[in-house]
Amino acid sequence: MTLHKLLIGVAAAAGLGGVASAQDVAVITPYLAQPGTQFYVDGFKARADELGWTVNVIDTAGDVAAVISRMEDVVTQGVDAIVINVDPAQIGAGLSAASAAGIPVVGMDAGNDPLVAANVTSNGYAMAAETSVYVANRIGGKGRVVMFTFDPFPPVQIRGVIADAVFGNFPDIEVIDRITPDVSDGGIADSRAQMEAILAANPDPGSISAVWAAWDQPALGALQAIEAAGRQGEGIVITGIDANPQARDAIAAGGNFEASVAQDFQGIGSTTADTVARILKGEKPVQQVIYVPTKLITAANVNAE
Amino acid sequence: MITVMRRFGGLAGMLAIVLFFAISLPDTFMTLRNWLNISQQVSMLTVVAAAMTVVMVMGDFDLSVGSMASLAGIVAAVLFMQGWSIPLALLAALGVGLLGGLFNGIMVSLVGILPFVATLATLTVFSGLAYVISDGRTIFGRDIPAAFGDFARGGPNLPGGIALPNLTLVAALTVLVIWIVLEQTSYGRRLYAIGGNREAARLAGIPVMLLRLSAFCFTGVGAAIGGLMYASRVASANPTQGDGLMLTAIAAVFLGMTLTRDGQPRVLATLVGVFVLGVLDNGLTQMRVDSYVREVMVGAIILAAVGLSAIGRNGLAGQLRR
Repeated sequence: MTLHKLLIGVAAAAGLGGVASAQDVAVITPYLAQPGTQFYVDGFKARADELGWTVNVIDTAGDVAAVISRMEDVVTQGVDAIVINVDPAQIGAGLSAASAAGIPVVGMDAGNDPLVAANVTSNGYAMAAETSVYVANRIGGKGRVVMFTFDPFPPVQIRGVIADAVFGNFPDIEVIDRITPDVSDGGIADSRAQMEAILAANPDPGSISAVWAAWDQPALGALQAIEAAGRQGEGIVITGIDANPQARDAIAAGGNFEASVAQDFQGIGSTTADTVARILKGEKPVQQVIYVPTKLITAANVNAE
Repeated sequence: MITVMRRFGGLAGMLAIVLFFAISLPDTFMTLRNWLNISQQVSMLTVVAAAMTVVMVMGDFDLSVGSMASLAGIVAAVLFMQGWSIPLALLAALGVGLLGGLFNGIMVSLVGILPFVATLATLTVFSGLAYVISDGRTIFGRDIPAAFGDFARGGPNLPGGIALPNLTLVAALTVLVIWIVLEQTSYGRRLYAIGGNREAARLAGIPVMLLRLSAFCFTGVGAAIGGLMYASRVASANPTQGDGLMLTAIAAVFLGMTLTRDGQPRVLATLVGVFVLGVLDNGLTQMRVDSYVREVMVGAIILAAVGLSAIGRNGLAGQLRR
């Protein structure tokens, strides 16, 4: 601990740091080691610096109970706002402590809860609409589509619902299989095995027009299966969602994997800071869920980022 | 004077930490509410560390407590999902803790595997079982009965309107039980005898094998209680959530050992060790110390406390002669 920090701590604790503009915000997450979370936090800190806030980022290294403990501590310390990046359902005790002290809690891709003033995240419905419409347009509204979905996990389940609706709206699109891959090993290997079975069952060139996957791993598995079967020349269109590095590589390579959707993690962070600023000004968000736009990634823009 | 320093140096250091925060955070640190908060935050660690003290008294370890805590939470949650009542599911989870502890005891005492190796292996076994039973998922939301999650958020009201947290009460009760067992029964005194000199204890007619075996049941059940408290606090269960408790519990016992006259583990000293760790987390968070710097400082303080105590015991000259 530097002397500087110590002095700030002493001054703030003594009530000297309470200048109106200098807001004191704690960001608490168990997941700072994950790449996405770091982008959120970087985006948040950059915006908070512009606003002149004191930001304390607390990482509990995977320990969710410690998130509750640290929330209680910063409530005692008397911060102006708390930002969380963890499922609110698991930290009810911390949310009650903040609520009792009148300290607003804002979620940064956290989840919804009556005690969370607002949650800033990406629109899963919109992401699925982007890729399913891409598929439908790309195959000219006509053909046989394989879907990879995962309904047990709510954020992914909503993506499948949208794709069902989009494909259902095209009379000439037939969904020949809706697969839930086994994700215990990450999802690529089982998706590949399932796709191999579908390829074997549909041996005629052109009998499969597209593979729509609710996230990138099944799309990558399907790509491997198609390439291993030597059927990459049939024009089967594959799309994923999330635009992870492996998916970006595949899209950049120009093969069957044509599109995915990128979340704007930095944007979620900076929008969270803006949302906190609004709430601290006394605004009450009408919408408890605030969406940050996502971006369709294709060969046209994959190298631009 | 030097003797006094040796005996109470550790305690003075710990009081200095409290004093430092009390001065640095004059409005918020030395309040009843904050101390009740701390007691609740360290409650799970208190239970696991108190249970760990029982085996460390004999010079043994149990590295499996963290994964047993995770497993117990998962067992209860899965049984909740199957419609079991809360008391039955909790009893079953405690039963799993007892069986796990018994298994550790058999491996260490009857089979004769070093505790470090045996409990390292069962750490992996329990952790694997937690994954198998839960399919690697976090169990939360509607699957967890509301009353189970509410337990960790409630507690009887003290005069003045502040609630005494239920988790704090559970921890206090556990410490009391283990204090009685270790300090007030011949069973406990025999465990200390084994820790002092196992061979002499055996020759004196103490059933060493049976006592060592049974002592591991305390860590198994203690870990299970800690894991259930954790699950209640986060109203969910995850196959890794208790894992961090193991190292911190051992650290707390070691910190406590710096306070006792002959460096033996004592459960009340362990309690002080637990509180030192809890106070550091609470105070440094309130002072906005970076969470990674906080970890470095906590480790350094443990080293300083244990190191000073070792030097105090033998004298620096004595250390150099060795």
